[in-house]
Amino acid sequence: MLESTIWPAWPLQGNDLMRLAVALLLAAVCGEAVARVLRLPRVTGYSLAGMLMGPALLGWFGPEDLSAVRIAIDLALALLLFELGVRLDVRWFRANPWVLVSSASEAGLAFVLTYFLMRGMGYSNGLAATVGAIAIGTSPSVVMRVAAELRAEGQVTQRLFVLCALNVAYSVVLSKLIVGGMHGVFRGDWLVGVLHPVYLLAGSLIVGAALALAFQVLRRAFDLSDEQGAVVLFGLLLLTLSLLDMLRLPGMLAPLIAGAIIKYRDPRPHLWPRHFGTAGGVLVIALFMLTGMSLVPGQVAAGGVAAVVLLVARVIGKSAGVVLLGPVSGLSFRQAAALGLTLAPMSGMAFLLTEDIRVIYPAFGAQLAPIVLSMVAVLELLGPVAVQWGLRIAGETRAGDK
Amino acid sequence: MALEQFAESRPLTLGVELELQLVNTHDYDLVGGAGDLLRALAKRQLPGDVKPEMTDSMIEMSTGVCENFRDALDQLGTLRDALVEAACRLNIGVCGGGTHGFQHWDDRKIFDKPRFHFLSELYGYLAKQFTIFGQHVHIGCPGPDVALYLAHSLSRYIPHFIALSASSPFVQGADTGFQSARLNSVFAFPLSGRLPFVETWAEFEAYFDKMTATGVVESMKDFYWDIRPKPEYGTIEVRVMDTPLTVRRAAEIAAYIQAVSRWLMVERPMRPRDDDYLVYTFNRFQACRFGLAGTYVDPRSHEHRTVAEDVLATLASIEQHAIELDADEACQALGEIARSGVNDAAVLRGEYADARSLNEVVRRQCLRWKT
Repeated sequence: MLESTIWPAWPLQGNDLMRLAVALLLAAVCGEAVARVLRLPRVTGYSLAGMLMGPALLGWFGPEDLSAVRIAIDLALALLLFELGVRLDVRWFRANPWVLVSSASEAGLAFVLTYFLMRGMGYSNGLAATVGAIAIGTSPSVVMRVAAELRAEGQVTQRLFVLCALNVAYSVVLSKLIVGGMHGVFRGDWLVGVLHPVYLLAGSLIVGAALALAFQVLRRAFDLSDEQGAVVLFGLLLLTLSLLDMLRLPGMLAPLIAGAIIKYRDPRPHLWPRHFGTAGGVLVIALFMLTGMSLVPGQVAAGGVAAVVLLVARVIGKSAGVVLLGPVSGLSFRQAAALGLTLAPMSGMAFLLTEDIRVIYPAFGAQLAPIVLSMVAVLELLGPVAVQWGLRIAGETRAGDK
Repeated sequence: MALEQFAESRPLTLGVELELQLVNTHDYDLVGGAGDLLRALAKRQLPGDVKPEMTDSMIEMSTGVCENFRDALDQLGTLRDALVEAACRLNIGVCGGGTHGFQHWDDRKIFDKPRFHFLSELYGYLAKQFTIFGQHVHIGCPGPDVALYLAHSLSRYIPHFIALSASSPFVQGADTGFQSARLNSVFAFPLSGRLPFVETWAEFEAYFDKMTATGVVESMKDFYWDIRPKPEYGTIEVRVMDTPLTVRRAAEIAAYIQAVSRWLMVERPMRPRDDDYLVYTFNRFQACRFGLAGTYVDPRSHEHRTVAEDVLATLASIEQHAIELDADEACQALGEIARSGVNDAAVLRGEYADARSLNEVVRRQCLRWKT
């Protein structure tokens, strides 16, 4: 009997770790190939690899595998949102309120166009509003990764980060309010309908403020730009995520709020630990790969044409919103148009918001998922390209095309 | 192209140009924002002018013709306020300082204008390396021969202007040990240095014609001299200073140059000689490297003293002229700096010792620029 515990079984039995490792390597290779041959952003390659290996094509991985690595997605997203939050300087809105107005206008137009298009296609009021709320969101992961890859810096990049951060906030808040409304409609319990969104938003605010406070205390003790800093930051974010999970709060709002509070209270430059990029990079590959894998072909196909029409309307809404307010907010027409294009990506966040709703209201979620997931499927591939083009048109890239 | 006529200008009037850094407010690296800022300022009525420079992270503000220190300070203050306000709306930081502490030259982009593209083609990486920030001061001259007299006479005081304005100790993320490392970048250009020793405009025209005949230069703009005549304005232009960290310091230095010029023009203490230039590059280097503590070799007596000592001696000689020009307040402030040795380069090194981060140093430069 001892034999079987010391010698390998023959033939060798594959395990989950092996599958994950192979998947990561394939995604990395695919990202590199896409960057070199097609000159597209690497993240497109990661998503493509995820789609190939996922249920859509090869079927190596299914949605059930994803729950095991959900923590990787959550941590990657939390890191990106925290970093995005630190780039959101609310003092800018006081100096130039038109930036805030243009944010409201692009988010509002995207919502309104998506909503009425959904209604026109015969969907229910609740479904139209939910899709509209999710369509407001611009994927922070795509935006930040592509901007980092192109080393973009300038007026359009800066506004892209700010509008993206605000869109995350609008999208989460609005979709939680809609969930509250659903408590009222589906259960007739309007008290919960009011209290639940209030709990989610106030809870996120409090946890975000606590994270900001903890970060500032630790910043005094550690030089956060050295190796030690990376460990501290990872630990802090993991702690926050576990807390959010225990409290059943959304994972997306608190890190973003924490980042913005830190930037507001301490305007010193916040530099990320040197090794943060490397470790974060692995998580980001995983993030895109896993989002790609989560697309189930049946659902994507069911969303189909409606999703494509909605996407076009959404991009028109967002572009019109920023172009209309371009001149007063200090952008040239070319810059504003480029900015509109870069706001296109949708990705992991839309997926997570849909999942959150599906857990509470499975039947409603089943109607919602096909539409949102096919929008995500298209934009997983085209979104990064839109950001790349937009930033090039704006002339703000510093890598690759000197 | 022939050399232009030397225009008329009122003697001893002033003009100040400052090249400024545009940085982001996230990590305080340079950011391409000149186009955005110029668009934002296009409708503003301002004294003087705001212009683009070689790369799109630089912007130049220049006063109109100023009478004296107060006038220059007012105009610079108005220009600065307008610039800071517009930059704030765009979430861009503006600051002084002769170099950006940690920018990478290869990240810079040439500002989209034919002349800058031409220069970039010609000079290659030197053009991007030229993302350095200087102060230029124009002094009005009654005629071209006086302009040449003043240019040669002022050359003796170049180390003063360098040491008092020095604000570029950090380059590409490291402390260079220099107080003004910026001027090392200027030296890389083939037509940098000093103007040839000619005392009359006729001789200068002859020199200019010979140079254009070689095809090496087309206009005065091609000379990157430390002091050069600017015939179209009827001025000479002193170009060795780093952009100081505040407009007040910039106005003080301009007023000092004005007062020295008045003394030179009115009293004619000595006639310039070609041999005065024997110690020129040595003195210039000492001022760049060691600032006010650098060695200054007197071109006539060959006596060695510190730059600070020579500044203080000069301030004593020109006192009456400074009072005439209402520049005495400015000269006193500069005397303080000469005595204490704390110029802007020392201020920046102090900030770095405190913050241990060049990013944070640049942020503090932005705060200081607003004062």
